[in-house]
Amino acid sequence: MARSLFLAIAALGLLAALGTVLARNLVRAALHLVAFFFCVACLFVMLEAEFLAAVQVLIYIGAVAILLMFGIMLTRNAATAEADLSGGWRVPGVIAGLCVFAALAFGINNAVSPSGSGAWSAIVARPALEPAEGVAWKAERSRAIDDMPRVVGEQFMTRYALAFELAGLLLTAALVGAVALAREEPAPGDSEPATAVEAEAAVGTTP
Amino acid sequence: MDVGTALIAQSHRVDLSPTTAIVWALWLLVGFAGIFPGIVAYMVWLERKVAARFQDRIGPNRVGPFGLLQPIADAIKLIVKESIVPRPADGLVHLLAPVIVLASAFLTLAVVPFAVGLVPIDPPSGLVYLIAVSSLSPLGIFLAGWSSRNKYSLIGAMRAVAQLVSYEIPQVLATIPVVLWAGSLSLVSIFDHQAKFGWNAFTPPGLLAFAIFLIAGVAEVNRTPFDIPEAESEIIAGYHTEYSGMRFGLFFLAEYLGVFAISCVATVLFLGGGMPLPFSSFPVNLIDGSVGSYILADAILLAVFLAKVLLFIFAMFWVRATLPRMRIDRLMNFAWKYLVPLCVLNILFAAAWFEVVVRPGRIEAGRWAVGMIGVGLLTAAGVQLVFWANRKLAAAAPIDADWPAVGAARGG
Repeated sequence: MARSLFLAIAALGLLAALGTVLARNLVRAALHLVAFFFCVACLFVMLEAEFLAAVQVLIYIGAVAILLMFGIMLTRNAATAEADLSGGWRVPGVIAGLCVFAALAFGINNAVSPSGSGAWSAIVARPALEPAEGVAWKAERSRAIDDMPRVVGEQFMTRYALAFELAGLLLTAALVGAVALAREEPAPGDSEPATAVEAEAAVGTTP
Repeated sequence: MDVGTALIAQSHRVDLSPTTAIVWALWLLVGFAGIFPGIVAYMVWLERKVAARFQDRIGPNRVGPFGLLQPIADAIKLIVKESIVPRPADGLVHLLAPVIVLASAFLTLAVVPFAVGLVPIDPPSGLVYLIAVSSLSPLGIFLAGWSSRNKYSLIGAMRAVAQLVSYEIPQVLATIPVVLWAGSLSLVSIFDHQAKFGWNAFTPPGLLAFAIFLIAGVAEVNRTPFDIPEAESEIIAGYHTEYSGMRFGLFFLAEYLGVFAISCVATVLFLGGGMPLPFSSFPVNLIDGSVGSYILADAILLAVFLAKVLLFIFAMFWVRATLPRMRIDRLMNFAWKYLVPLCVLNILFAAAWFEVVVRPGRIEAGRWAVGMIGVGLLTAAGVQLVFWANRKLAAAAPIDADWPAVGAARGG
């Protein structure tokens, strides 16, 4: 049962990923990407990681996909958002994709374990899926599920603090860069410095 | 009997036994396919009646007594109407969009604890789930606007996404004090915490979070004064301009379902669910394990819960009948310059309240009074600070600078 469900979800996810790459229309491609994210969330649910599944939907579908579509909408003719990935960029694109895949495969398989414990693939921190012995097993399993947000948070603040802060720094830099790009500069001879930022600051004058 | 064990014994956690399956099937068939759409139908009737009273009219009174059969007539009309899809529209996405919006509204209701044991599912990270599924609706709205190939639809969709993404941030940040005090993301645990410590809205940071949550919630379901995405006097009907028949009906259903869901969530998070008294776990402590006591307590809880939800719904109708629409730039400014800083400050005040009142594990009169005065003053000062800073910023800008048309007319 669980195995066939997994195979179905994985197959759907792979199809969606293929659709993302092959779709001519950019919004369609983004929609396939949403479907793929959703399949990943389903896999998290199958692993009993409900918290991760919810976070996956929240961040990847609720934020990343929406921003992606917003980006498409603001930069292209919305009605015909065709992908113009012409021949010149196809080969570099494939090479970049393979490089990312290689980096991820290498990185995941050579993850450094916290001192004092073995390789990650040897750790079985979560109870097995097959029911073991009644009540105690059930209690342990539900405790593992309940504790997931706390455990994830602790790991972010201790073991992965550096990566977490770096990701935050990167996002802040991207944010500042986007604001710098989008900000309208006043024309040289303009006496009234009515920039967008100051125009926004004037809002809320009513007491 | 301990409140927590009573609640947890009723929640469906890990085991998927036949009983759980039957309960879930009942929830789907009776609740999600029957009662919730029915509630929505009569919310529409209520809104028409309430709005009519505000405008000195009578409202629907032709179909049945007091117009009570009007929602049924409306539903039949929507179902039998022809569904027109514009020729250049993206057929599949045009169909998918209302389904996503509706699914988002329905999924939100799946974690709401209506009474003891009367909760469809109680995942341990329920609040994250809630935020995740409600963040799906901007996607549906965006797709609706994009797939229609209509400039008004597209403008409406862009406004909607900008507004929803902005107001999602204060809405999520406003729930953090609640999570901090309850020490859990499960909505049942949050209810449980309020049975012990009083309603969250009766604490100074809780009251501020409650107000922010409500404002952001009204914006999240696109109600007046935040209904810029479907402002009919500017952009026809926004993202659902090109929808007709039952496809439009799905958007309509999703909007009112969203109002109902946000009222339910606000009740659970801040107004102690179905508890009628702020500082007593009154109907919950009646439960002694017998079936009769469960039914009695649940009847009280459910009745009070629905009364509170009705109060919220009425308040939203009231606001809609009273206030005009906000301008889009003021709307965005309000989210980013008032609500978000207030939320961030409020998390600090919530931490102070946690240290003073919640930390000992039970409510004590002395600590509670100290918390009310100390944290209350802090919170009031924080609100003053944010408004003062915004007033200073506004005073620094030239008059009418936020009104581009005026500057252009002056030749500036």
